[in-house]
Amino acid sequence: MTAASRRGLLAAFAVSLPVLVGVGYSTLASLGLTGPGAAGEGSARIARVLGEPVVWTGLAWSLWIAAASTALATAAAVVVAVLFRGGARSDRVARLFAVLPLPIPHLAAAVAALLLLGQSGLLARLLTSLDLLTGPGDMPALVYDRPGVGLILTLAWKEFAFLALVAFSVVATRGGRLEEVARTLGARPLAVFRRVTWPLLWRGLLPAVVAVFVFAANTYEATAVLAPSDPLALPLLTLERYTDADLVRRGDAFVLVLLGTAVSLLAVAAHEWTRGRWDRLEP
Amino acid sequence: MTGRLPARTVLLAALMLSALAPLGLLLVASLGRGWFFPALFPPSVTLESWGDAFRGGRMAVALWTSLGLAVCTGLAGAAVGWPVGRALADLRGWPRHLGAAAAFLPVAVPPVALATGLQISALAVGVAGTPGGVFLSHLIPAAGYAALYFLGVFTLFDRRIEDEARTLGARPRTVLWRVTLPMMRREVGQAFLLGFLVSWAQVATTLVIGGGRVRTLPLEVFAYLQAGQDRYAATGALLLVIPALLMLGAVQFAVERAEATPL
Repeated sequence: MTAASRRGLLAAFAVSLPVLVGVGYSTLASLGLTGPGAAGEGSARIARVLGEPVVWTGLAWSLWIAAASTALATAAAVVVAVLFRGGARSDRVARLFAVLPLPIPHLAAAVAALLLLGQSGLLARLLTSLDLLTGPGDMPALVYDRPGVGLILTLAWKEFAFLALVAFSVVATRGGRLEEVARTLGARPLAVFRRVTWPLLWRGLLPAVVAVFVFAANTYEATAVLAPSDPLALPLLTLERYTDADLVRRGDAFVLVLLGTAVSLLAVAAHEWTRGRWDRLEP
Repeated sequence: MTGRLPARTVLLAALMLSALAPLGLLLVASLGRGWFFPALFPPSVTLESWGDAFRGGRMAVALWTSLGLAVCTGLAGAAVGWPVGRALADLRGWPRHLGAAAAFLPVAVPPVALATGLQISALAVGVAGTPGGVFLSHLIPAAGYAALYFLGVFTLFDRRIEDEARTLGARPRTVLWRVTLPMMRREVGQAFLLGFLVSWAQVATTLVIGGGRVRTLPLEVFAYLQAGQDRYAATGALLLVIPALLMLGAVQFAVERAEATPL
């Protein structure tokens, strides 16, 4: 290995060192070797925490929210990128409005969602003014609800901007010429989309889609504002345990930290594996 | 084409509505006094919550703390990410994959996991509950994002321009200040913005590492929500939006102006 390689690797590990320290500490604390409530339990603590149904329902709920919001945001980004890809003024305006929510923090989006979708929010008021509801109680629960509709819509709205930005770039840089070739060879518009545009978009979007999925599964801000207390999403459960007055339960949080980290790393590994397979298909 | 036009128009209107309506709703909620169900509009308006934000109230202190943290994180993130990204871009083969994976860790690890894993270290070093500790906790993901960003930038960067300057006798520092940095103004601006936004939106790390003693704007918004003070929460949420949008515009403007100036 050259000196430049060593320098590069050292620099990268310097950036990741705090994370490695944190994960290392969480591993030791999960084994009861350090931290709050440590009693040298070894793997017994991990087994006990992973044996709690609330952990798995919380994880499943977080994954459901992440999958649904990512799917919605991806579908919307693809539609908008395909429909507004031209150079006309309306296309440029559409692209601007699509990416406008990008710098808006998730917490601000969640507050807006609460004011819009809550039982006495603007939507309920509009429906009442149209005589479709008689009171806040008639409004279907869209926040703090078990299916997580409000949270899914909020995350989808927020992540749509990011995915749309990536989709615009993919369509602009890779799509045009290949589609032209397909059309020249007699492909109809639907076939061009199915056989050229969609595969290109999907492959270009996948890294961003994985990033959005991982982010949505672990996001704290919007979840804390819009999610129900039962089931309790994994990030909320982790922080709830970590701030528990009971030291043993506080130590349990580190097992949940490892679980959340493992989910993120698995998603990234799955993405790398898929990309590796695709790279082999490249001419 | 005629069938497609209405769909495009409807979608364009929906995009405009979805981008602007949440901001409009936050604005009305931040001004509305006594805005109870089923009123569609507030019966009267007040600037009370905005006054708190600009007359040294709780929200003003939190706003300045957040701004200070975000600016410092943006600057430090770009400063750390630049050399790391450049060093990674020089790698080939498995060291490059390994290095990129290492730089990706701070980005991939959930903020709650990062915060809880690091709190003991922060306590041991004596920075827990201080703005410095919160800044360092924000810097970890910001540096990861910036390193990955500069990895992409330097992978495509044409080094021959630097070689040429060196051939003409320029020292390494001169090459950096007179050649590389002027060419990278846009990228440096965007890396700063990335770090700014990462810090601006942090809640979990601020909450855990700051221990409730470092009050940033997002924490105040949470506190107002929990207290049922929707008007203040909406004002805080808008204050979270406005600087982020302004910073985006300012960086774009500064970069375009700098690029229009001959080197």
